[in-house]
Amino acid sequence: MIAGSRVIDFHGHVGRWDGTGMRDDPDEMLRAMDAVGIDQSCLFNIFHPDGRTGNDLTARFVKRHPARFIGFAYVSPLMPETMAPELERAVDHLGMRAIKIYPSYTPFPLDNPVWDPVYDFAHRRGLVIITHTGIEPTTAPRFLSQVAPRFPGARFVAGHAGNVEPFRSQAIRAAQACPNVYLETCSSFRSPGVVEELVRKAGAERVLYGSDTPLMDPRCQIGKILTADISDVAKRQVLGENASRLLGI
Amino acid sequence: MTTLNFRARVPVFDANIGVGHLRNRASPFESPEQLLREMDRHGVARALIYHLEGEAMSALEGNERLLSWVEGQSALHPQWVADPTPDSLAQLQQLHRPGQLTSVRLHNTRECGLPFVDWIYGDLLEWLAAERIPLWLSLADTPAVEARETLRRFPDLVTVLLGAHYAHSLIVGPLLRQLPQAHLELSRYEGLGKIPPLIREFGIRRLVYGSFYPRYAMGPMLFSLHHLGLETSDLELLCSGNLDRILKEGEDR
Repeated sequence: MIAGSRVIDFHGHVGRWDGTGMRDDPDEMLRAMDAVGIDQSCLFNIFHPDGRTGNDLTARFVKRHPARFIGFAYVSPLMPETMAPELERAVDHLGMRAIKIYPSYTPFPLDNPVWDPVYDFAHRRGLVIITHTGIEPTTAPRFLSQVAPRFPGARFVAGHAGNVEPFRSQAIRAAQACPNVYLETCSSFRSPGVVEELVRKAGAERVLYGSDTPLMDPRCQIGKILTADISDVAKRQVLGENASRLLGI
Repeated sequence: MTTLNFRARVPVFDANIGVGHLRNRASPFESPEQLLREMDRHGVARALIYHLEGEAMSALEGNERLLSWVEGQSALHPQWVADPTPDSLAQLQQLHRPGQLTSVRLHNTRECGLPFVDWIYGDLLEWLAAERIPLWLSLADTPAVEARETLRRFPDLVTVLLGAHYAHSLIVGPLLRQLPQAHLELSRYEGLGKIPPLIREFGIRRLVYGSFYPRYAMGPMLFSLHHLGLETSDLELLCSGNLDRILKEGEDR
């Protein structure tokens, strides 16, 4: 909690990425969360295209600290036949609360119909999909402006909010145009004024704090919100109120 | 306890702030007063500033423009940029005579298409080492292999390595081991749990806080360092004491 408000980190990973030093040590992750008042972190494993392998690892990780970690399901159109059944298994049997997709690991842009089974599943179930957005050709946030209106029951979160210009502006335009598009803040590009811009242009109720833990330290990423020149009311929304509402927790 | 608003609780001397516009990017602030307001918002008392024009266009002209930023500003300390041209070295030597030179920052080697090797930068590095003037060198722009090979030839040269990213996680430790005179500036080094092992192995004295403003927001890394669980005395060294010492050692030459 920060100043009486629940804090939810909307973007985190399970798994190792040794070349960057990333290691999913729960003790280290909890220590960082506790140091700044983060109540819960949303986690997913994006390293296995079958979905099942990574989702099982995520479920096992979350089970160790179920009050602190929230699992999201991952599927990939590299193995399209697995997507719908794995989503059902992950949500209905593993207790995953939302869906993560990562088009950078595929040749398919976000508006390619190969993703439709994921979008349709989220639409029917009223779930959140968080997708990586940024400079990669498959992840341009402008695609969300086309996809989100087709699946109004789903809520789409632009991870990294496009990361850098001109993709950040695309993400903001998508949020302005589509009531079911949200913007998440983590990025190793910590450009000044970005959080302020997202809140000003998309509205504080559409912005979510995320950190990319354990790739990045949630302390530094939450520092972006707490040192931003926005109101305390907006900070509370970004830090956790919006995430609580989206996840129904 | 974390609150919704943050100001530093120890004295802060930022080791890495660029001023002025880049040819391809306008700065969010245009005057010392605007910069000082942003510093004050986060509780940053002093900053070491260089002119961004020096990074890739002209160290000489960037340094000339820097003068107007520091004149009459006790909170803003000049850092002069160097490139390998004879004009640049001559300018630094001229600035050095009245004692205006406490540190030098190398221009952007990558953007200028130059390898960081002693047969290009040797005259500059030799002079800096002889005069005990510390050098700021960006790991974001200079390959670690070149940094290691070249700086090893100048063992007396004190350096501050800037811009290490989480992608440098496997490089930073070995590099600090190879270069005992090197310090690490922390603006971009935000991999989870990466700073405490550096403190344990190398000591707090080898680390320096910088913000990399205005490329990066000024507050987040400062906030993060305040929440690492450090003793106040160590936090003070990290946020200002180490930089003061590095610059002072140059002054005491």
